[in-house]
Amino acid sequence: MNTTQTGNIKIRVTNLTFSYKGRRILDGINENFEEFAVTAIIGPSGVGKSTFLMTLNRLWENIPEAQMSGKVEIRFNGGLRDIYERSFSSSRLRKLVGTVFQKPNPLPMSIFRNVAFPLKLSGEKDKGLIAQKVEGALRKAYLWDEVKDRLAQSALALSGGQQQRLCIARSLILEPEVLLLDEPTSSLDEKAAEVIEDLILHLKERITILAVSHYLDQVKRIADRVVQVDLWQVRK
Amino acid sequence: MNSIKETIVERALLLSTIVSGAVTLIIFGFMFFMALPLLREGNIFQILTGEWSPGGGSYGILPMIVSTLAISCLSVAISFPVSIGCSGFIGVLGPRRLGRSLRRIVQVMTGIPTVIYGFVGIFLLVPIVRELGGGGSGMSVITAALMLSVLISPTMILFFNDSFERVPAPYLDATDGLGASAVQKLVYVIIPNAKKGIIIGLILAFGRAMGDTLVALMIAGNSAQVPGSIFDSTRTLTAHIALVIAADYESLEFKSIFACGMVLYLFASAIVIGIRYFAFRERGVE
Repeated sequence: MNTTQTGNIKIRVTNLTFSYKGRRILDGINENFEEFAVTAIIGPSGVGKSTFLMTLNRLWENIPEAQMSGKVEIRFNGGLRDIYERSFSSSRLRKLVGTVFQKPNPLPMSIFRNVAFPLKLSGEKDKGLIAQKVEGALRKAYLWDEVKDRLAQSALALSGGQQQRLCIARSLILEPEVLLLDEPTSSLDEKAAEVIEDLILHLKERITILAVSHYLDQVKRIADRVVQVDLWQVRK
Repeated sequence: MNSIKETIVERALLLSTIVSGAVTLIIFGFMFFMALPLLREGNIFQILTGEWSPGGGSYGILPMIVSTLAISCLSVAISFPVSIGCSGFIGVLGPRRLGRSLRRIVQVMTGIPTVIYGFVGIFLLVPIVRELGGGGSGMSVITAALMLSVLISPTMILFFNDSFERVPAPYLDATDGLGASAVQKLVYVIIPNAKKGIIIGLILAFGRAMGDTLVALMIAGNSAQVPGSIFDSTRTLTAHIALVIAADYESLEFKSIFACGMVLYLFASAIVIGIRYFAFRERGVE
């Protein structure tokens, strides 16, 4: 269960409480996550696994009637940084903390433009650099060989597994330090899931990964550490 | 039992479709029939390109055609960017609660009778245009276009807003997750994916601007001449119909309004067909 980087905390969550429409979903959570490790987050449906991920990328802020208190710190450039600090914008956070959703969600545009989209958002104009980074990201996501001849085709024509790897490539192009995966293989068949598991193990050399998962055997294969969300509440 | 009910409903719906389709065609046929004496008298070319001088026996409607096009194009050009901005603010950029109340206000605006807009135009807009336009009555192409743009904006805003809301949630999640700002989300993802709704809203607004009678009648000035600038007084096809309808039923003057009706009808159809053709051609939608 332990990694070589023991003690190097990447994410520190302090007294995190989250409620939606007045119902408390997460209650006083304290937890640390180590750098360059895969942490699996498990637990029965509806205990707040996905919600927990949303407190790390601040995506919950779009949800009406949601409330959060407590502190979330992530180590960027050596120091732990409160991600809810006023001067720290959510756009900047989400470029450092990538998110892959349960269902693959490519945008309705070509494969190339999907992967290049985050660069467009950050205002990158250099076409040569964009092409180079797109190739790099697709290679990292084990997708390059399958799509290199049809980059101009719609991303929606890819298979589910390919779409999910495309979404991972799209997150990787910004070189995030943390990657949040919300049941990334639950909508895929076994074979496609295997490729993604393999990919996750490879990515953790450079990225801290938190993955919500339902499948215990998957957790055993990929996780350095397991956190059970339903026990959080009890432990408090 | 069920299948009989279904058949009845199906037939009833088919019948109402046929009736509403037929009514549109019948109206056109009726207008053509009524305009026939005039079309026989002079030729069509002369009516479409001649000037309006009933005393001199010339029943040309060119001035009205030009001013209808000028006013409706101008009003759409003014209100389109404003409407896109408003619906962007209501649906994406602004605080949720403020957006909701603004939307309600816009909904109320759609229900205001056009005569009120004309009335407000006379008292508020006409004096301003008179000042800026350097003399004249202040009743002009731009006066009517500005007021009409206020009149058609609510339709566009609500339509755009609905089509923004129909953009699939996964697209929005993906965009948010990648750290897009709200403006980037609007410009790169929401507007491109709401294109179809935006175009349909545009068509509706254009039709409404072209078909509106009272605003132009009250504040465009009504002189039957081709406007030389946006500060010139002018008369639209619809206002022309409203003004001439009091003439003697048997006169050629009266018959000419049916030609106006036909032109309006053809314009409206041409715009709808044209925009649909150009907008949906490349992607093969519909």
